[in-house]
Amino acid sequence: MKKFLALILVLVFTIGINAQQSPGKDHSKLNLSCKTCHSCDVPTKSDPCLVICPREKITTVYQKPEQTPELITINQLSDRYGPVYFSHKIHAQMSIMSGGCENCHHHNTSGPILKCNSCHETSRKREDVSIPDLKGAYHRQCMDCHREWSHETGCNSCHTLKKDLKDTKNESLQKKYSGKDHPVIIEPTKLVYETKSDKGKLVTFYHDDHTKKFGLNCTSCHKQESCTKCHDVNNTDKSKNQKVVTKKTFEDQHSNCISCHSKTENCSKCHGEKTLEPFDHGKKTGWALNKHHINLSCAKCHGSKLPYNKLDNKCLSCHKGWNAENFKHSITGLQLDEMHSELSCEDCHTDGNFGIKPSCDGCHDDYSFPKQKPGKLVK
Amino acid sequence: MSGKSRRDFLKSTALIGAGVTGLTTTAKAGPQNILSEDRMGVLVDTTVCVGCRNCEWACKDAHNLPAGNLEDYEDRKVLDTKRRPGTDALTVVNEYSHGKNSSLPIDVKVQCMHCDHPACVSACIVGAFTKHENGTVTWDTDMCIGCRYCMAACPFQVPAFEYDKALNPMIMKCDFCFDRTKEGKLPACVEICPVEALTYGKRSDLIKIARDRIKRNPDKYVDHILGETEVGGTSWMYLASKDFAELEFPKLGKNPAPGVSESIQHGIFAYFVPPISLYALLGGIMWITKRRKELDEEVK
Repeated sequence: MKKFLALILVLVFTIGINAQQSPGKDHSKLNLSCKTCHSCDVPTKSDPCLVICPREKITTVYQKPEQTPELITINQLSDRYGPVYFSHKIHAQMSIMSGGCENCHHHNTSGPILKCNSCHETSRKREDVSIPDLKGAYHRQCMDCHREWSHETGCNSCHTLKKDLKDTKNESLQKKYSGKDHPVIIEPTKLVYETKSDKGKLVTFYHDDHTKKFGLNCTSCHKQESCTKCHDVNNTDKSKNQKVVTKKTFEDQHSNCISCHSKTENCSKCHGEKTLEPFDHGKKTGWALNKHHINLSCAKCHGSKLPYNKLDNKCLSCHKGWNAENFKHSITGLQLDEMHSELSCEDCHTDGNFGIKPSCDGCHDDYSFPKQKPGKLVK
Repeated sequence: MSGKSRRDFLKSTALIGAGVTGLTTTAKAGPQNILSEDRMGVLVDTTVCVGCRNCEWACKDAHNLPAGNLEDYEDRKVLDTKRRPGTDALTVVNEYSHGKNSSLPIDVKVQCMHCDHPACVSACIVGAFTKHENGTVTWDTDMCIGCRYCMAACPFQVPAFEYDKALNPMIMKCDFCFDRTKEGKLPACVEICPVEALTYGKRSDLIKIARDRIKRNPDKYVDHILGETEVGGTSWMYLASKDFAELEFPKLGKNPAPGVSESIQHGIFAYFVPPISLYALLGGIMWITKRRKELDEEVK
C-alpha cells in the first residue's frame, strides 16, 4: 500500500512539474517569437536554452495605467528635431476606454513590453518593407489620433526644432507631468439620442443609472472609443441632442444595449416620441426600494446573471438567516415594545408576507396597524 | 583608277554596311529588361497618409524647384482645392472626404505612375522618353522638341509643359528620383514621409504586401490595388478605403495604353495586307465602273 501511494505521489509530482514547465506540445505554432523564451536558434529537448525569466521584474501590458511611466523621452530618431516628450501615463489612462494598452502595444506577447524597435527597423531603406519602419510606426501611433481631433498634421505640435531647443525642457516637462493624472471624466446624467427609427425617434439613455445604480464599468460599454468622443477642437456644443447618423447595422448599433436588455424586449422600452423617465424600481416592479435597498447594486439581490431574475417580495427569500431572535425590528423604523418582541414573526405578519400590512387579529379584537402600534417609531 | 580595284571597293562597302547594321543591331539588341522581376515601385497607402504634404516639399527640394520652408506646408487650406502635378510641383496631395468619418479625410498623393508599358515612351516621336529597368520612366530634355504628344498619350495626364516659358519650354514630370535611386538613396518623398504611407520596394513584394493588408483588414480597404493591372501595371500602386473613382483616379482597363495606338497603327500596315487589299478593292471598283461605261457606250 505504501509503495502504491509513493508511486502515485511520484506520478502526481512529475505531472505537476511538467504542467509548470511545458508550454504545450504545439507551442512552436503559437504566434510568439522563439526568442521570447529561447536564447539559441535551434532549441532541443536536451538543451532548450531557456532564457531566465525575470517574471517579478517584467513590465507587461497588463498593468494599471497608474503604475506606468509618467513621461517617456523619444529621442532615437532625432535629426532635425529635438526629442519628443510623451506623457505616457495620461495617455494610458485615456486608452482604458479605447482598446487599452494593446491599442499601442500591439502584437505584444503576455511577456515583457517589447520596445518598438524590436520589430520596427530604424532604417527606411531595408529588405523587409512589410511593416513600417520606426519613424513610420511612431508617427502612425501619434498622428492617427492627433489629426483626428486636432485636425492638424504640423510637425511642431510634437516636435521642437533643434535650434529652438532649450536645455530645461525635459526638467520642466517632468515637473509638469509628475503626479499628474488625466482629469476625472465628467459623466453625463442623461443622454437623448435622435434616431431615424420609426418606432419612436428619441432614445433616452440614463447614463447615471447605468453606472451608479446598475454598477456597470466604463469599459463594459466604452471599449473602442475614438479620441474625438471627448477631444475634438471642432466640437463645442455637447448639450444638444446627439443625432445618431450611422451606417452601422441594426445589430452593431444595438449591441451595447442588447448585451443586457434582451432582444425580445419591446422597442418602446428605449424608443419613444418623448424623452423617457428614468428607471424607478417602485413604478416598474411595484416594490419601491426603501432606504436599506436603494443604495445596493442590482447584482446584490438579483445576482450578476443577465437578464435579472424577478424576485418575490418576501424578506426571507434573500435574508435567509433572519428569525425572531436575531432580527432587529428597529431597523424597520419601529422598535417593538417588550411584550411584542417576545412574539414570533408570523403572529403579526401572517403567512410570512412582510410586504402587506401586519395583522393584530391574532391577539387583539379591534386593533389595527398603523392606528395602534406594537412599539414606538424610531428613526 | 587608284590602286584599289572595283572588287576591293565592293568588299569594303559590304564590310562597312555589315558594321553599321551590326552596330544598330547591338544598339537595339540591348533594350532594357523593362519588366524585370526586380523592378521597383511604391505602394501608396491612402488610409495611412495624413496629408502633411512633406512629400511635396521634399520633391521640390530634391529637384531644385523653389520649395520654401517645410513649416509653411502645414497650412491645410491648400487642400481645399484639387490640384494637379505641374511644372512647379511634380507631386501634389489632394484631400477627399472620408464619408464615414468626417474628421479623418482621405489624402491622395498624385505623381507619375511610371507605367510598365508607358504610353509616353511610345508616343514620343523623338524617343526622348526611356523606361528603365528599375521601373523609372525618364525623359531627355535635350531631345524633347516640345510636341506634347506625351501629355496627350498619358492615361493619368501627368506630364506638364512649361507654358509660361517663352524660350526652350520643357516637359516636366516625376522622375522617380532617378538620380537619387542610382546612388542607392530612396526617392525624396518616400524618405521624408513621416508615417511611411509610401513604401518603396520591389514591385512584386509590394503587391504581396498590399494583398496581405487587404486580407487582414477587409473592412478598411476596398479589394483593389490600383496600378496592379491598370494599363498593364504601374510602378506606383495605391490602396484606399473607398472606390478609386471617388478619389478622381481615371477608370482604366487592363490593356497597356500604347497598345491601343500601336495596334491601330500596326494593324493598318500589318504585312501590307490591308493597304494592298484596299488598293485591290479600289482597283476593282475602278475596273467595274470602267467596264460599265464601255458597255453603255457599246449599247449606244
